[in-house]
Amino acid sequence: MALETQDRAARLADPVPVAVRLRPPEREGLAERFGPSDPSPGLDLLRHPLVARLVRNRKFQFLLILPNQIVFWTVIFVGLLGTAVPGLNFGAAITWYVWFCLVFVMMVVVGRAWCAMCPFGGFAEWIQRRTLFQRTQKTLGLGRKFPEPLARLGFLIPVVSFLLLTWIEEFFNIAGPGNPAATSFMVIGIVGTALAFFLVFERRTFCRYICPLTSLIGTVGSMGTVAGFRTRDREVCLTCKTKDCMRGGTDGFGCPWYTWPGSADSNLYCGLCSECYKSCPEDNVGLFLQKPLTSVVAPRRRRADVAWAITLLWGLVLYQQINATTAYASVENWMNRNLHFPHYPNPVDYLGVIGLGALATAGVVRGIAALLARRDVELSRPGSFADSSSRFRAYFLPVSYGLIPVVGADYFARQLPKFFQHSARVVPAAAHIFGFSSSSSPIYSFSLATNSWIVVIQIAVVALGTLAAAWSTWRITGRELVSISRSGLGVRLATLGLVLGCGAVAAVLYLIMHAAD
Amino acid sequence: MTIREMSAPVAPTHLDVRVLTDRCAGCQECVIRCPTGALSMDTGHWVALADSDLCVGCRQCVRTCPFSAVVVDGPILVAPRVEARLAHPASLLGDVSEIRSGITGWAEALAEAGRCLQCPDPTCVRGCPAHNDIPGFIAAIRARDLEGAHEVLRRTSVLPDICSRVCNQSAQCEGSCSWSLAGGTPVAIGALERFVADMLPVPPPAPAAPTGELSVGIIGSGPGAAGAAWELLEAGASVTVYEKDAVPGGLCNWGIPDFTLPEAVAARPWHQLASAGVDLRCGTEIRPEDLEQLLETHDAVIAACGAGMPLRLSLPGAELDGVTDATTFLQAAKATLGDGMDAAAFRAAFGLAEDPGAPGRPVPRVLVLGAGNTAMDVARSARRLGLEATCVDWLDERFALTRPDELAEARYEGVEVHFLRTLTALRGKDGRVFGAELARTTQAAADRRPTVVAGDPEVLGIDLVVMAMGYRVDPAFTGALPGTPVRRATSGVADRSWSASGILASPASAFADHLPVGTLALGREIGLWSASLPVTERLWAVGDALIGPATVVEAMAQGRRAAAAVLDAGPARPARPTRPDGDGSSRQRRVLVCYESAGGRTARAADAIAGGFSERGDQVRVLPIARVGLAELAAADVVVVGSWVEGFVVAGVRPAKAMRAWLAGLPRLGGKAVGVFCTFAVAPKGALPAMRQALEARGAVVLGEASFGPRELGKRAEASGAAAFGRELARRSTTKATARVLVE
Repeated sequence: MALETQDRAARLADPVPVAVRLRPPEREGLAERFGPSDPSPGLDLLRHPLVARLVRNRKFQFLLILPNQIVFWTVIFVGLLGTAVPGLNFGAAITWYVWFCLVFVMMVVVGRAWCAMCPFGGFAEWIQRRTLFQRTQKTLGLGRKFPEPLARLGFLIPVVSFLLLTWIEEFFNIAGPGNPAATSFMVIGIVGTALAFFLVFERRTFCRYICPLTSLIGTVGSMGTVAGFRTRDREVCLTCKTKDCMRGGTDGFGCPWYTWPGSADSNLYCGLCSECYKSCPEDNVGLFLQKPLTSVVAPRRRRADVAWAITLLWGLVLYQQINATTAYASVENWMNRNLHFPHYPNPVDYLGVIGLGALATAGVVRGIAALLARRDVELSRPGSFADSSSRFRAYFLPVSYGLIPVVGADYFARQLPKFFQHSARVVPAAAHIFGFSSSSSPIYSFSLATNSWIVVIQIAVVALGTLAAAWSTWRITGRELVSISRSGLGVRLATLGLVLGCGAVAAVLYLIMHAAD
Repeated sequence: MTIREMSAPVAPTHLDVRVLTDRCAGCQECVIRCPTGALSMDTGHWVALADSDLCVGCRQCVRTCPFSAVVVDGPILVAPRVEARLAHPASLLGDVSEIRSGITGWAEALAEAGRCLQCPDPTCVRGCPAHNDIPGFIAAIRARDLEGAHEVLRRTSVLPDICSRVCNQSAQCEGSCSWSLAGGTPVAIGALERFVADMLPVPPPAPAAPTGELSVGIIGSGPGAAGAAWELLEAGASVTVYEKDAVPGGLCNWGIPDFTLPEAVAARPWHQLASAGVDLRCGTEIRPEDLEQLLETHDAVIAACGAGMPLRLSLPGAELDGVTDATTFLQAAKATLGDGMDAAAFRAAFGLAEDPGAPGRPVPRVLVLGAGNTAMDVARSARRLGLEATCVDWLDERFALTRPDELAEARYEGVEVHFLRTLTALRGKDGRVFGAELARTTQAAADRRPTVVAGDPEVLGIDLVVMAMGYRVDPAFTGALPGTPVRRATSGVADRSWSASGILASPASAFADHLPVGTLALGREIGLWSASLPVTERLWAVGDALIGPATVVEAMAQGRRAAAAVLDAGPARPARPTRPDGDGSSRQRRVLVCYESAGGRTARAADAIAGGFSERGDQVRVLPIARVGLAELAAADVVVVGSWVEGFVVAGVRPAKAMRAWLAGLPRLGGKAVGVFCTFAVAPKGALPAMRQALEARGAVVLGEASFGPRELGKRAEASGAAAFGRELARRSTTKATARVLVE
């Protein structure tokens, strides 16, 4: 019959795809590029139906954020209205004795778990999306793109904002032993800044480009065992014509962090918000686990902004250790007197020590590059700050990544005294909101460890971080630097020496700090 | 025809393309769509690489990058557009020659075709209501292959000669052209389409040998009817067209003046169709009450009856002599201008002064209400009849509904067009209109209704008022075609492939008069796919009858789509013996099982039901309702709908919220076979009846319904009940039995 000679499907087919003649996507080098960093399919948590159902639920992230939201609004109100005694004020106690330490544990183990439940970004995002958890179509605010010249700086702005926040915290003595009202103002300041950015810019521009914690969490979090949301089958992502995970789909928003599961090679920018999983129409996104340090060692692409962020963070933690020594206190006083600055921390030596720490690290790497780089290999490539390469960068970028574990361990060790000595105060502080308890409570004075033990633990943590950094650096150097160096063993030993030196400096400083105490 | 500065070299000195590598995720959306290959991949870093030397500034990459990681600075590097010259006659009086002369030579055609970027993801194709393969036919022009160009156009259009003349390309294909979206001047797509049709006549339909099995009746002979008849004829169906007028063509025949659409061009499709075997019955009016009888005569009926009733404004003085409507005026004008210009008879018919040109006697003035395309046709016809013409519209000119070129041409011909004015009253003397009171209005935005500004009205002396605000569908037909007019408004997440193309990213192209071309095009998709679905069993509606007053090209595209659906469904009138398989054809049936699932149990039930159908050899798709649109529904012979039920134990139990919203937004399913199921924890209560009623209200025939509890769908259960339900539905849908299947 003539009526059936035509292809039935063709008759009712949409004519648009016939006229769409997309170029084939580039596939060259996929295996080499992503092979080392791709997690094993067996480590996909979303293969388990219950987990999948939980994560697919649009209330998932809301329920992660909600408890933190309650705690932080409590911090704000109690900090302003409660007692001025830091140990008895719930706001100050939970923020400085427990929260910061817990965030470190989370970032070392999970990566950006904190970002998934962050009450600052979460609150602003609720307002930006005009919903607590639903998939909405219209957003509140201007939806501007973050200016390109600033965006190109990547992690440098967050590092600067972290340095600024730390300086403010030290200057107003907000954290130690704690200033409840100032703590509230600081939290309000962060929430207000976040809200302003969410209302002016699109997606999580604040979290990616501004948030003081993002560089720390991003770098230290790469040690974590959660790879983040990644593609299950890259070919499906490559041939996907809609990219709902990036643009937003029926059930999920486009990635707020500007990350595509199809090309993610580390957990650096996966905020674990699960929107890509919800929006993928092909069910091709999984939540993968990975071996610790994979996101430090495996990524092929090294970024200059991340490398400088690591060294600046290293400079900051060194400054915090140095300024706790007796010898440095007199230097600080001398500087304040001569520069007419009221009190610690003097911005000159604050920035000076941080800069010196970063530049010294970079200088050592430059020396290694100058001594060991092969002259017959062209390593220079022009480009912007983020893109260009040179002989120095060819060494500096991978070596800086290798330092992440020791830097992370040093930060973690710095938080331990407050946690061990004062974390128990959260209990009387919580009771104090309701009029119970006082500083005479035995729990208030309870310490989880003595000072001597705390130092031992601190040095053990640094030693562990140094070992992890040594292993990472050995692997990274073997893969990325041996081939461009005149001596493979020489470059391995040199970079290893740098890592061990950093670890030794941190450990010795803890000993000196203990002596100062 | 002029080619402006074609030889002027374009200096690519200021163009700079940058990829923001921090944000580029290497998804290659820009790479696969770049028309010039200026973007490639840096496989080492897995980010896009830009080559400014190859870039022409079309900014498709900027529009399509999901993360806004591409920045293009600099001018648009494209040669100036070849502008078609207008052929204004020396004297307008009585002249009906075509004003737009189109592209007449190969040199100009090739120059203009050379401006086309041949975009890999052409937004112009989405902007065209018929989805013509525009890069395809332009490539054929470049190869000087007119037959090839016709072949490409024929895949989606049967009226290239008409559409190229009457379409408002600035809001459709040209408004969606990459150059236009980038802020430049688009390729003259309409002129190139017309060039193809002018240089080589549109090939006639190639009818298949009639089998006599499928008989289709079409009401009306407008563009929708032409599109449908063409497709049906070429597929071997027997086509009968019922036209109430003496001449076929509908509004194209009597509503569009010859200076825009020459009579020969307008008549071409029906000459070809009648010659090819369409049974064209002019002078045969079909009223809504005749539909039943028509459905007994034919296996399927397509209502393409158009919107021929002129809109009339109700205001003081509207009953006076000298107040008429656009249809009356245009028909009379066309007859007068076409029959050698008996202007005296025309003036007498409308009660105008006998000798307007005589000394001391002013030229009669026609007040045209509205400034849309109909109003322009009226006013320009009036000018050719020796009358003064003034159009008033309460819209702001920025948001005017007329084609920009048509407005310019009208003004050139001496038509006064006043925007932001509205008629508040007509003044009469001795029962005859002589003045119009006009009030000022203001309009803030295109989607805002104008408001009248307080103040004394202006009074304009006039001799004739023509209400030309547009047309409407005969209300009697609207009542007979349930679900019409279909609202062409999108909601929720836009089609992702449309977003990916970038057409939605630049909604305010200056060339398109700042109209949101992408959103408008998406709205047209609703009409297009709605035409695939019958409004009642064996009755389809297209064009104005389906969506209200619309454009020629939309109606034609919908006609083709409805014809395809008719051929696909293979309906049979009761009197016609059905085939042994009982379904009118031996083809494989397509079954769509759509569900709303929260925890996965409803999805499991859907899979099991699909299995039941598969066992009988049906082609089955299982989709969550979020992914079921008009296209999926149109392509399915049988639809099974399932939902989990929400509520507290036994209180407030009903289908899930998403399912209720989806059901509420369903189009007409005229006679489509449907099965319904739900899954529950304690009791389904009224969930099934609620779903059934919603589907039946849209004309679906519910074959069976079932509910499944934890026992049937528990972790260890094999969902055998659901599979059995699927098998039973499959059996019943074969015979189209309407008894309900009850599964406990």
